[in-house]
Amino acid sequence: MPLVASSSAVIPASVVVPLVGAALMAGFSGLLPRWVRDLIAIAVALATVTLTLILTAGSAGRPMIYWFSGWRPAGGMVIGIDYAVGPLGGGMASLAGLLVTAALVYCWRYFDSARGRYHALVLIFLAGSVDFCLTGDLFNLFVAFELVAVTAFGLTGYNAGHPAPLQGAINFAVTNSLGGMTVLMGVGLLYARTGSLNLAQIGQVLAGRHPDGLVVVAFALLAGGFLIKAAVVPFHFWLPDAYGSAPIPVCVLFAGVLSELGLFGLIRVWDTAFSGLAGGPGPRMRAVLLGLGIATAVVGAVMALAQTQLKRMLAFVTMSHLGIYLIGAGLLTSLGLAGASVLVIGDALAKSALFLGVGVVQHQRASVSEPKLRRRGRGLAVTGVTIVLGALVLADLPPFASSVGHALLVEAADQAGLPWLEIVIALTVALSSGAVLRAAGRIWLGWGAVESPSPDVGTADDSGDEAEDRPDTTENAAPDAAGAADGGPADGRTLAADGGREVRERSPQPARVPLTMMLPPLALLAIGLGLGLTPGLEASAAAAAASFSDRAVYAAQVLGTHGSTASASGAVIAAGSRAATLGGVLTDLSQVAVALGVAAVALDRRAIRLRRALAASTRWLRRLHSGLVGDQVSWLVAGLALLAALGGVALR
Amino acid sequence: MSRRARLVLFAVAAAALAAALGVGLAGLPSFGAQLSAYARMLNELAPRQRHVTDVVSAVSFDYRGIDTLFEEFILLSAVAGISALLRPLSDETRRLPEDKAPDRTIPPPSPAVWLLAVFLSSLLLLTGVETVTHGQLTPGGGFQGGVILASGLYVVYLGTNYATAERFEPNALLEASDGLGASGYAFIGLLGLLAGASFLSNVVNLGVTGDAVSSGTIQLLNVVVGIEVAGGFAILVSEFLDQTAVVRTRQR
Amino acid sequence: MSALAYGVVGWLFLIGIYGVVSSRNLIHLVVCLSVAQSATDILLLEIGYRAGGHAPVFVGLPAHPGPAVDAVMQALALTDVVIGAAVTALLLALVVQVHKRAGTLDPDRLRATRD
Repeated sequence: MPLVASSSAVIPASVVVPLVGAALMAGFSGLLPRWVRDLIAIAVALATVTLTLILTAGSAGRPMIYWFSGWRPAGGMVIGIDYAVGPLGGGMASLAGLLVTAALVYCWRYFDSARGRYHALVLIFLAGSVDFCLTGDLFNLFVAFELVAVTAFGLTGYNAGHPAPLQGAINFAVTNSLGGMTVLMGVGLLYARTGSLNLAQIGQVLAGRHPDGLVVVAFALLAGGFLIKAAVVPFHFWLPDAYGSAPIPVCVLFAGVLSELGLFGLIRVWDTAFSGLAGGPGPRMRAVLLGLGIATAVVGAVMALAQTQLKRMLAFVTMSHLGIYLIGAGLLTSLGLAGASVLVIGDALAKSALFLGVGVVQHQRASVSEPKLRRRGRGLAVTGVTIVLGALVLADLPPFASSVGHALLVEAADQAGLPWLEIVIALTVALSSGAVLRAAGRIWLGWGAVESPSPDVGTADDSGDEAEDRPDTTENAAPDAAGAADGGPADGRTLAADGGREVRERSPQPARVPLTMMLPPLALLAIGLGLGLTPGLEASAAAAAASFSDRAVYAAQVLGTHGSTASASGAVIAAGSRAATLGGVLTDLSQVAVALGVAAVALDRRAIRLRRALAASTRWLRRLHSGLVGDQVSWLVAGLALLAALGGVALR
Repeated sequence: MSRRARLVLFAVAAAALAAALGVGLAGLPSFGAQLSAYARMLNELAPRQRHVTDVVSAVSFDYRGIDTLFEEFILLSAVAGISALLRPLSDETRRLPEDKAPDRTIPPPSPAVWLLAVFLSSLLLLTGVETVTHGQLTPGGGFQGGVILASGLYVVYLGTNYATAERFEPNALLEASDGLGASGYAFIGLLGLLAGASFLSNVVNLGVTGDAVSSGTIQLLNVVVGIEVAGGFAILVSEFLDQTAVVRTRQR
Repeated sequence: MSALAYGVVGWLFLIGIYGVVSSRNLIHLVVCLSVAQSATDILLLEIGYRAGGHAPVFVGLPAHPGPAVDAVMQALALTDVVIGAAVTALLLALVVQVHKRAGTLDPDRLRATRD
């Protein structure tokens, strides 16, 4: 429905509103009491969600093209920067807004927000994400990429009083700025060849030609940068360090938005610029992407099982699911992309619920270490239900949205002649959800042996989310938040220069979990359920994906070469889709059952020899994740070289 | 991985990447041989269409103005992130530098150094203002001029001492200029919307090429960016200076 | 000439990364990262270069000015410089805090995040 004309102000407003809100928050926050700051931030986030939802709905028929500064293309040449708003990009932007809102509500009066800087950073993160999803200009894509990255670096290290978040932030910043550099080099190479920075025009110039070394290397550099952000093997080593030590509300943003943006960027650039290459989208390219996706999914799932720190476990779960989205997108069909998109949304809601639930546990029990929390879940029943439900939704429990996405993905794999992918996906999903369920079983039901941590598994506990904030001038005598241990067996040892101090005092534990912390995860799960029950979700997703991946139509619409009303070609879902069939439901339920089974095996005292054997066989993998930035950068360089080689094979 | 294994992995990977980069860079047109049609068109059109003599600022603030909005916010995010990272934590206190010897105080800065600081900082401030406001005429603009302005404030510290410098870096004012500069860019962009055109359109009177006031919103945006960058960098310098000079871990 | 011009880009990028990989001091690491960053700026400016060209500033030109170089690439390089400065400053702030909290500046001795 043509709700919004292309020249409407809603399009620029969707980035200007969060940007202005953030700037005013950063500049004048000292003047306002804290609850006013929280309220304004939530209001700005809600406004942004509304605007992006309007854009998503309004662009369903055909993309809306908006030219900034009034510079429309002249003589077939693009002069200015455009936004090409489509339902896929709009949906991703809306998801970002929704998660930001949930995270801000969760922080209400709990998270000391350092005079509004936290809110400013989060809102700028949102604005950058919206720009990333809507833009049609390659350099603007790079700028948005860096904007999201810079805010993320600051947010990761937010608990600056502990070394783990700082180290995580450094690893994150070093690897991801290298990613930004490779993206920029790719942009430069493409500009040198095509003379344009506009994605549609680049695609037009490259279309139909055979790629030479420059185009292949440009693709490898661009893809490398986006895959670093998406944390695909072997660029992923920074992810557990960063996601495992960032504050919980920030983890929500990262798990639900940041990694997925990396994948979105890759697919966006591929579909608009490279997919028209002669010999481009073929079985070899598909094999490369599928291989990367499978490797990421498997490594993530195996490492998730090996974790005892909950946030790190969820980080690996996030990584594993991203591998699955890459499998979906890597099929290079619009149906696969549709499945991946719905999965992204459905899983993001569940992952966020999981992180927020873990945050409640951390807030109430001052730990995120699974062995230490054994049986301490009593009294946090709602959170327990949230976490179990979230894990089951991640395992594609029907009728949540994730199961709809899974059904689409499986159908796409079948259509592409690769039905064995379904088994790979099922196994990895079962393993990663099983890890979370195992943790839930241990924490709430007290199941599982009381095992001493094996010597080569670190016991890095979480540093606590209560950011410390004091007025600059007075000394604050208030007791600090929960203390933290940094590796090593002893709990509570602080790391300040004056060693030997006592365990920091804990602020008195509130008797009840505040409603603002308990409701957002449940609300997110409810939204996932509602989306899953929405009729026509699959058809809209398929249509959105089809128009997203149709390069020629997109170029025509942007460059205005002919008034195009051509609806995008591509697979359309017939009514009565797989998800609603009995077969689909049974498959999903069996996946859930396997996940529960994995958790049961993990907790069963009798299976201890099996677990020890598995742990020994994966020790080399765990050792690789050393947390040292030098190692991570070496793997990054190796990955870039590998991508260049694979790209050479796949694109010729 | 051991350090040796890491370096071996890097050596092999770097060699492969070097080969790949070689192949990619070899496909570039010969150095200096050609210019893209886009660039040629802008070099021709910008002076006429936007009444500028510095085409780069027309590209940054007009043709590709939305990029610069986000670039400005990258700086704002970095400043906000750094202020958050270096904020006073509960186990730290602030104490001015003091001489360890009990029977004397830190000598005050010599008058010659002080005079030099006054002269230099005034010069820097003047140069900064000139760079910011002449961005559409000569190379320069908001970002460059803003950094010069901030360094003018830093020279005050170099020539005097921490306590004096603190007086010239009122945190609230600097934060306000940072925030105002960033949001000001967006507000100027809204002028375009109000005039019925696109966001960030140049709807202000363009003036005569070469005049001190010309090129419409390009100059206004330069000024706004200059305010933001000056405030932002001054905050940065002040934060890092605090960490070195006054922040101490509290001894209990 | 092209080989030297573009070879510099590859060399700077890789030697900067070598510095990052082999570094024993976080501040040295951050500076090496900005060396690698400069490689990308140089690449952009070189792509925009025109032999015999002058800067895209149309004031005070001689009677027969040659072509001007690419203003778009210069604008992009400016943006990249700002981004590089922002990231470097952020990393240095992290390094300052790491030194206080972990007591070391050696990246290989940071063991706070580990499996």
